[in-house]
Amino acid sequence: MTLRKLLFAFFVLMCQLISAQNDSINKLKEVIVSDSNLKKYSNSQSVLKLNDSIINKNEALLTDLLNFNSTLYFKEYGRGMLSTVSFRGTTSSQTAVIWNGININSQMNGSTDFNTISGSDYNSISVKAGGGSILYGSGAIGGTVHLNNDLSFYKRFDTNLKLDYGSFNTIGINYKTNIASEKWSTQIGFSKNSSTNDYKYLDKYTWQGEQRWNQNGQYDVITISANLGYMLNDKNMFKLYSQTSNTDRNTSLVTESEMKSKYVNGFNRNLLEYDGNFGRFTTNLKTAYIFENYQYFADNSTNDYTYGKTESLIAKADLGYTLFKSTQVNGILDYNRTNGYGTGFGDHVREISSASLLVKQDFSAHWKNEFGIRKEFTNNYESPVLFSLGSSYQFSKLYNLKLNLSRNFRIPTFNDLYWEPGGNPDLKPESSYQAEIGNVFTFKNISLTQTFYYIKIKDLLQWMPGKNGIWTPQNQDKVNSYGAETLLSWKKQYGKNNFGANASYAHTISEDVATGNQLFYVPYDKITTSVSYSRNRISAYYQFLYNGFVYTRADNNPDEIINDYTVSNLGIDYDFKFLNSFKLGLQVLNIFNENYESLESRPMPGRNFNMYLTLKF
Amino acid sequence: MKISKLLLIAFGISLFVSCSNDDDNNDNTPKGDYDNGFFILNEGSSDQGTVSFVSDDLSVFTKDAYTAANGSDLLGKFAQNIFFDGDNAYIIAGGSNVINVVNRYTFKLIAKIDTGLVNPRYGVTKDGKAYVTNANTYADWGASADAIGNTDDYVAVIDLATNKFESKINVNATANRIVEKNGKLYITEPYNSDKLLVVNIASKAVETPITIGSNADTMEEKEGTLYVLRGPYGDRSEIVKVKLSDKTTSKITFPEALDGAGYLDIYNDKIYYTVYNSVYSISLSATEASTTPIVTASSVANLYGFAVNNDRIYLSDSGDYKADSKAYIYNLSGALQKELTVGVGPNGFYFND
Repeated sequence: MTLRKLLFAFFVLMCQLISAQNDSINKLKEVIVSDSNLKKYSNSQSVLKLNDSIINKNEALLTDLLNFNSTLYFKEYGRGMLSTVSFRGTTSSQTAVIWNGININSQMNGSTDFNTISGSDYNSISVKAGGGSILYGSGAIGGTVHLNNDLSFYKRFDTNLKLDYGSFNTIGINYKTNIASEKWSTQIGFSKNSSTNDYKYLDKYTWQGEQRWNQNGQYDVITISANLGYMLNDKNMFKLYSQTSNTDRNTSLVTESEMKSKYVNGFNRNLLEYDGNFGRFTTNLKTAYIFENYQYFADNSTNDYTYGKTESLIAKADLGYTLFKSTQVNGILDYNRTNGYGTGFGDHVREISSASLLVKQDFSAHWKNEFGIRKEFTNNYESPVLFSLGSSYQFSKLYNLKLNLSRNFRIPTFNDLYWEPGGNPDLKPESSYQAEIGNVFTFKNISLTQTFYYIKIKDLLQWMPGKNGIWTPQNQDKVNSYGAETLLSWKKQYGKNNFGANASYAHTISEDVATGNQLFYVPYDKITTSVSYSRNRISAYYQFLYNGFVYTRADNNPDEIINDYTVSNLGIDYDFKFLNSFKLGLQVLNIFNENYESLESRPMPGRNFNMYLTLKF
Repeated sequence: MKISKLLLIAFGISLFVSCSNDDDNNDNTPKGDYDNGFFILNEGSSDQGTVSFVSDDLSVFTKDAYTAANGSDLLGKFAQNIFFDGDNAYIIAGGSNVINVVNRYTFKLIAKIDTGLVNPRYGVTKDGKAYVTNANTYADWGASADAIGNTDDYVAVIDLATNKFESKINVNATANRIVEKNGKLYITEPYNSDKLLVVNIASKAVETPITIGSNADTMEEKEGTLYVLRGPYGDRSEIVKVKLSDKTTSKITFPEALDGAGYLDIYNDKIYYTVYNSVYSISLSATEASTTPIVTASSVANLYGFAVNNDRIYLSDSGDYKADSKAYIYNLSGALQKELTVGVGPNGFYFND
């Protein structure tokens, strides 16, 4: 405790000793967001936007960014390993990840591994709480995570390069160049984040007394992106987004004698978009081709592997019409054809079409309403009619009330339907009703968002052992998930001193209706806090995470839990002001050397260090 | 955890008291906390396997004997089998490629055998050596019989004096349960084999296998005959009797009502066998199956472990592999004696007398 206080005092003191100048405010020039509906149709829900300055302060992989800055809960199979999410007490396939407006959750297992995504590949990452199946389709039950590449149309030629070197031979190269004019916009990015990841397990020894360490945990995540925008004239614009990634990871061992295995996965995503703006009438056409694959080497000393891959073709037409000045209507037609093949599930094609209608009505500047309805058509399963109703009312400068009601779903995956043995072609989608009330208080430099929600989920897909010992998925459980989320942000400038603070708190009850038990791996409580300070050339920040205990078993056996943990990080950087910006930074991660794990027998590293250099020119 | 420790202490004290009351030390003097009782092996699922202990009088229960004796050491994933030799017990954790060697009475760890094993399954001992079947790699679902995963299984030979892997005997087939008799190993495998494999220990040679039919799993040798139970899906169950001296076979074919037979155990000249959650018995000399169950354990959804010993029938339910499941102990006339909440996926009973 005293050590912590000392450290904290030292950090505060140091900040005041050195004077520097803080970053200038973002230029207000034309920036085209990749997913205009995210802004347009989320007035009645809460969206947390993490921009690149926050992204840069966190470890490269997305798990860390979201773990320390949002209410999302993560379960990691060791540092850098498979990482699955739970949002508002839902399962890992009930959070949809959206890349520039396109749902990119795996077609094979329905979820996204947050340790295969590098945050720096995007301009911003938004976390939208609550249902969003109307716009984003399957999996948008707990919420959605949006990876956005925004294109700017003003004269610029700038490059961002961040180099990291840290403990366990962790190396990061994150590069991005923007070249743009009023007509053209180009963004090229490259990121490579790797680590030998051979950290020691705190206070853990083998039966022979040797220090235990993370064996076979090395990873290497590489992504190349290229985004292009062309403004033909005031009315017509074309955009092309393309991204290729490969994650080469071994799988960390629980015990030293286990077989060393390896998991390689990658994706290629291409999105061509056309925007037409003809007064009252707008058109947005999207065509996307998404490829994902994995290879699993059960024994990485051999070349034998199992694999799976899917190719999806997506076509989307979004026609908007301004009915009155206050009322806008969007009609969206969507077609998705996915071809999946692999050692586990054979060769199958799935075609899904959908039609949706969205209405946005602003009665006044204070009162905004939105309404949406969507229906999917497919031979694979019976799809429910989805809807969304939302309203936002600004009572005063101080207080904004938001209401939202929606029905959302998660479709069965290729694994669920076709896995051999056990796949069940007769599954229904998981579906949910969700209601939420949001209170947003804004007072001077403080903003406080408090949201209460209730989600009723039925037909939850569960793999269970059947007769003959073969596991098979069933539409089994019903879950009621409810809770409260609080987001707090504060910003203040005193002369040359800039202060900022952000905090989030989630209280989550996620109850299996049949047993009344809390779902396992859903913490009742999670808190994050970050405090930042900058003055002239120096900036410093402190991050704090508290993760409440979780049950590891469905029966809530009190002996089978993962203890709560708190992790703190401290970072400081100095801008030498060569080029546009030349920052040298140091981070101390898990500064109090907390011995913790997010999954049983999967210890996380103790105190470790990272150095970085950020150049802008 | 604390309660189990308290129980242990209480048990220890009671032992001392009972020992001091004994005038002379007879054979039943406990050699450790886990003497005079039986172990229930819990496979585990996402987490490590565990071993539960129950005293013969059913009064003492330790849910996780391995952790109680060895603290934070990890037993390994998918605990599959325990075999004994002298004062040692050998616990096979197939998912972690390890055999934990413990003192069978104290359960204190002596060594870990962690080389030469790939998905180890079951083991037997003979003359200071252990013979452990290894599934090695698994073939894809529906793969042909000659796929690598279906032909690369082997028997690991382990020197019990040094607890070191010594050599392997490739069987060119799939291998699972194993029995040793008169210097020969007899091996069944229920999913991809219709043969009883025979391995000569001295020459390490695989002899001509005996065709017994698919889905053969549990077996026991009695007076020169190996009794093998097979319960093919959608076909009649059988007990195949293999006369080991000349490898001739005869069989008892079960009526259709007994399709899907599970486990077999021989006790006091009777063959006990299970079909789903019912237990039946016939005499060793019977030529027909009994269709009248001794007991039908209606609370057992998926019978996963079975044994008959000390005038009792032992059954365990796999449960859902996500929570602790249960073991049930009946007397030989089918009356429930004890119901115990053990670990995840209890799959076997091992007697430590």
